[in-house]
Amino acid sequence: MPLDLASLDAPFAALAAYDWGGDATPFKAIDDAVVAAHGDSTLRTDLEKRFAPILGAGASRAAKEYACRKLMMIGTAASVPALAALLGDADNSHMARFALERIPAPEAAQALRDALGTVPARLQIGMIESLGGRGDAASVPALARLLAGDQNVAVAAATALGHIHTPEALAALSSADPLAGAGVGRAVVDARLATAEALLAAGKRAEARNVYQSLADAVKGKPGAKGVELAATRGLLACLDTLAAAS
Amino acid sequence: MNDRSISRRRFVATTSVAAGSAVAAPYVLTSKALGDATTPPASDRIVMGGIGIGNQGKGDQGAFLGRPDVQYVAVCDVRKQWRDEGKDRADAKYGNKDCAAYVDFRELLARDDIDAVHIATPDHWHSVMTIAACQAGKDVYLQKPETLTLREGPLMIAAARRYGRVVSGGSQRVLGDYRSIVDPIWAGEIGNVTSIDISVGGPSMACYLPAQPTPPDIDWDLWLGPAPWEPYNSGRCDGNFGTGGNSWRSYYDYSGGSLTDWGAHHFGGTIFAADLLDLQPTKVTYHPTSADGKDAAYVSVAYPNGTEIFHNRPARLRPEPTLTFKDALRIVGDGRSRPAKPVPAYHGGETSIYGDFIACVKTRQRPFRDLEPAVNTMTGPHMIAIAYRLQRSLEWDRATQQFVGDEQANRFLDRARREPWII
Repeated sequence: MPLDLASLDAPFAALAAYDWGGDATPFKAIDDAVVAAHGDSTLRTDLEKRFAPILGAGASRAAKEYACRKLMMIGTAASVPALAALLGDADNSHMARFALERIPAPEAAQALRDALGTVPARLQIGMIESLGGRGDAASVPALARLLAGDQNVAVAAATALGHIHTPEALAALSSADPLAGAGVGRAVVDARLATAEALLAAGKRAEARNVYQSLADAVKGKPGAKGVELAATRGLLACLDTLAAAS
Repeated sequence: MNDRSISRRRFVATTSVAAGSAVAAPYVLTSKALGDATTPPASDRIVMGGIGIGNQGKGDQGAFLGRPDVQYVAVCDVRKQWRDEGKDRADAKYGNKDCAAYVDFRELLARDDIDAVHIATPDHWHSVMTIAACQAGKDVYLQKPETLTLREGPLMIAAARRYGRVVSGGSQRVLGDYRSIVDPIWAGEIGNVTSIDISVGGPSMACYLPAQPTPPDIDWDLWLGPAPWEPYNSGRCDGNFGTGGNSWRSYYDYSGGSLTDWGAHHFGGTIFAADLLDLQPTKVTYHPTSADGKDAAYVSVAYPNGTEIFHNRPARLRPEPTLTFKDALRIVGDGRSRPAKPVPAYHGGETSIYGDFIACVKTRQRPFRDLEPAVNTMTGPHMIAIAYRLQRSLEWDRATQQFVGDEQANRFLDRARREPWII
């Protein structure tokens, strides 16, 4: 039997007034509706419309958080504008990403990319983590530019590029210094190794070998780079193993 | 990314300088440094630190402290009480004040002299810390459940393999407690395992606890780490082993609940017993509450070899078991002929999972609960939790690490981490 949408009025009124420690009992009806919305576009659309104002001014951080958790499950492109509006808000940025990162609509990724250029460095790291988690190839140019900026941001950007695995991502990583300080070099190395592993797993042995070899050459004999050399050598051996297995 | 042999030599040298400046005799001439009949010389000891040192971490620390081939040099905890007590235990063991105490795990991982760490934080920290530790060249003993989300596992395994690190999962019970089911199955006595019923609590829940004043002895932001910001409440972060609402093990942001906590033991024991360690489930079946309301909903996971594990199947629906373990596990075999296989043992003749880890740190072998089978083990409970949350059946493609044809289920593969934490 379809859910009587009017039955959600009171629970959403309770949510609008909710703060931490308040009565969460009415949320059970919303929880159930969110699960029931699978395959029910009418209910899903109705729920998204009800959550949108919770994300605006007036509702508590706790209420917004609850809304973001539920939009993680059912959010579509329709919810992106309300969520995107929170990305620059230090208190709510993470929970907006909590939803946006998991919403497969391309509009969600676009919102995260757009925020990259507008939010402070700490929040930028969050955008980067989410874009990397999505494996968002369209963010590569923006991430590549961030490799040369704030060190913590650069570490995050390198790590994210290591999750994307496209030739463009590899090119960006290959142009970064694997011996850079403050953890940036380590992140660049890690991302290049991750990309090589993805190439090897995809059967692109020659490309993987090139990544490992270039890394080994770049760090050979450099102080503090023994671990990188070992990892690159291990990768080169893996390429040989793959070659042997294929022959 | 240090080299272990180099770092251990550096450790001895550093310690010698420090001790030499404080006392007249060089440290290297003491009997403790040289070793004796029961204690290897310092240069042959594994230098360790611990991250998350309360409750289970305290037990893990005690196990490593008790080993003569471990030199325990550092503790890290966001709570001052746990930190101080952990340092005191190490200092009392060695009769000095040398154990360092850190609030931030990154400072501990930055030490070149440390070879290995044990991690017993809440689950939401496991992937971030394990990957960082591997990148820093440390071997890792990681408490179960090793993962909080499905996406974390492959990333953690990749980091371990990339840097050649020994990473052991931390269920001391898998081999220790379940021999009464492991031995007959591996001896071929019941044939192939066709079904297993596991009775253990369910998934974690949402947390609506009120705000309390944050005590001065906890770094609350660091306790939360990659989890969503929430106000302090003692029931949210207490490390006790309950899952009824007064511990972090109760709540979704930090734990998978009983299903992945105590479940890590039960699933770990049965998956080891049934020789499923290399497999991941392919189908997850949600069995809704019966029409008459007598049978609560339950979930099962099917493995590609045909074995099916049922979580909390109602008693009246369970088949007669061939083997049981207490009231928690009921195993059915097909009775067919199956060749006996020797039961794997801990490495190096060790009798505990802690010893197994240390033996593997020395030899670079894969430990008994290597991260990869540990991750495989935990995929089942994680998938079961997702099926309960969505109240429907799922299909899993191991090659792509995705649920098939269910974009909503795939949203549960991972969670956005709170900045600045990344994996």
